[in-house]
Amino acid sequence: MDRRAFVKCALLGPSSLYVGRDQAMQGEISLPQPPPVEVHGRPGARPSPLGMPGLFPGRVVEVSGANAIQGNRVSQPVIHRMLEHGMKNLTGDSSLRAAWARFIEPADVVGIKINPSGAPACCSSPEIIREIIGSLQAVGVPRENILVWDRYAFEIDIGSYQALLPSGIRVVGIEDGVGDVSGYDLDVYCEANFFGEWETRSYMANVVAHGVTKIINVPTTKDHSASGITGCLKNLGYGTFNNVARSHRAPISFTNPLIGLMCSAEPLRSKAVLHIMDGMRLVWHGGPLTQVQDFIEQVGTLYFGTDPVAMDTVELQAIEHKRREKGAPSVWEHDSKSLTANTEEFFHDPTKNLFYRQPGHIAAAGTLGLGLSDPNRIDHRTVCVS
Amino acid sequence: MASQPANATDWITLLGDKARTGGQGPCSVHAPARVRWQLRVARSIRSAPVLRKSTLYVTSVAGTLHAIDATRGRPKWVFHAADKIHSTPAISGDLVLFGCDDGKLYAVNCHSGKKVWETPTRAEVWTSPSIRNGIAYFGSADQHVYAVEAATGAAVWNAQLEGRVYSTAYVGEKRLYVGCGDGRVYSLDLSSGNVLWSRSTGNGIDSSPALEGDKVLIGSEDFYLYALDATTGAVHWKYETGLGILSSPAIGDGIAVIGSKDGYLYALYTATGRLHWRVRAGEVVTAPPVFGQGAVCIQAAGLSAFDVATGKMLWRAGLGGAVQSVPVLTGEVIYIASSDGEVYALE
Repeated sequence: MDRRAFVKCALLGPSSLYVGRDQAMQGEISLPQPPPVEVHGRPGARPSPLGMPGLFPGRVVEVSGANAIQGNRVSQPVIHRMLEHGMKNLTGDSSLRAAWARFIEPADVVGIKINPSGAPACCSSPEIIREIIGSLQAVGVPRENILVWDRYAFEIDIGSYQALLPSGIRVVGIEDGVGDVSGYDLDVYCEANFFGEWETRSYMANVVAHGVTKIINVPTTKDHSASGITGCLKNLGYGTFNNVARSHRAPISFTNPLIGLMCSAEPLRSKAVLHIMDGMRLVWHGGPLTQVQDFIEQVGTLYFGTDPVAMDTVELQAIEHKRREKGAPSVWEHDSKSLTANTEEFFHDPTKNLFYRQPGHIAAAGTLGLGLSDPNRIDHRTVCVS
Repeated sequence: MASQPANATDWITLLGDKARTGGQGPCSVHAPARVRWQLRVARSIRSAPVLRKSTLYVTSVAGTLHAIDATRGRPKWVFHAADKIHSTPAISGDLVLFGCDDGKLYAVNCHSGKKVWETPTRAEVWTSPSIRNGIAYFGSADQHVYAVEAATGAAVWNAQLEGRVYSTAYVGEKRLYVGCGDGRVYSLDLSSGNVLWSRSTGNGIDSSPALEGDKVLIGSEDFYLYALDATTGAVHWKYETGLGILSSPAIGDGIAVIGSKDGYLYALYTATGRLHWRVRAGEVVTAPPVFGQGAVCIQAAGLSAFDVATGKMLWRAGLGGAVQSVPVLTGEVIYIASSDGEVYALE
């Protein structure tokens, strides 16, 4: 082990990461195996008991809000009630403040990881972020110690987060343009050569490596053309490290195992203490960037948990259910007839895809100890809020 | 057609006038046939260029203000601010004014590129300063609107609002109008900064207003374009689009044109709010349009021109996939800035 705290366990062979249903469907077509991935966490970073899978492994609280979203507008008052029910149900606490205090201390510097990549059609709702900010302040975290962040500044701009969040909250885009590595720690990285790319490293954002002490993860519920879905894990991993698009080159995707391995890197793993998944809108085809409303359901759901694997498993079930209902193939399907290189065709035809999707990254993350992927072991609770 | 500044030192709203021409006035709009020059100035540009005489002024998120010879595309000078710049510059006399993420408003001599003055606020300034009768008015993310002397930067007044200000003010003769992150449109008295009226919308506002007769037009993240009474703030009419509005209205010949995040460009009669036409302009439209003679241009994942009378697309150029930028139309040349840091002169 060298001074950079090289994480030997990250050199997992590909066979150990192809688990679950993905393996069963491999028979459809022979796909290349991913190369080894080296994970170099931050030297000296100490694991926290609050880190993934956190205080409540395997628990997912799904809160449905009547009228939470109407006419594509999210209701702030309904979100307020949903957040209260969700946090209390997750923790068992009778007080909202007590529930938050399990995760956050007044001295914390808290990063709220949003997902603006589908903005404006589907992105982390500012209404939810506002409620989270209010809860953090109620615990005693001052505004100047709260920041909202994602990788791409221009996507944050489209979401108008700057104008829509309370004054004093920092809104940070890590990258201002292509090739901008100024916001990354060059000593903390994941390394792999997937397709012969010239830059084989993906670096961890400074804001995660050094800037915050806790992370509240606020992903959205979307299918993803390469990884099958984008939820807690992908929002964290691919939103924290740079140079991640290199992991998938049509039609091959190595998002499995990279997503889970990135989430296992310290200090990301320890700092991500709570996940509140924005299911106001559910994108069942065309993710992560689609703007086609035909494939976006206004569902009005929030998911709460500390276990990103369990939450993504529940999300995957929801997206699969919707795709079956709409007559679209499973995201597990690896049929070459479904492939297209035409992005317009992909965006408008739910039977088409750009990659052989790899939703096995969820179960693979489970094998890294990040959470539970077996649906039978997941404590999935449902709550309805009027 | 455009409401021209009262004199060479006035710059009364985002891009100088309600047609968003940057002081050029409505020019003919020809389909560009070739690139006259191209210059990379920074990693990313998220503001609009402005032109004065033969110099193009462009800010970048690298924290730089660039003066570029508009004829040949050669750099004249570069001014380095202390932080990123998202603010579209304004021009008043010999000064180029812009806000910065370091919380300051800067004034730079347009000939020398030297700083003339700077004035602080307590948060980033993404808005563009608006100037009338020697006073510059601008909003800050610190929830304030500031008035300072344009020549010196000396404070005149400041007014506290209830949310961040990312909306550029429209400065009328006696009052200004500005949107706010708290979802309200405010009218402030020019001499004192006192709030004359405010009007709630359903979500935050980062659109910048335009004044047309007795109406203040402004978009909101609640999906609506509003026409408010300039004197009272009462709603004359409002028009619903498919998603939030970050774009700002451009007005010409009684028609207001505005983009929406739903990807459409909307043209409405300012008198009634009746839809004149609606066209698809891109996946998402966040930039303000600009009026030319009989045409309106929009930069939304490419540069497009539409016939104002019919909404028919006149031409489209696949350059300039920038958000929040606006082309400069001169009749012969079109100048655009791209989110990847390139500046183009098209002819």
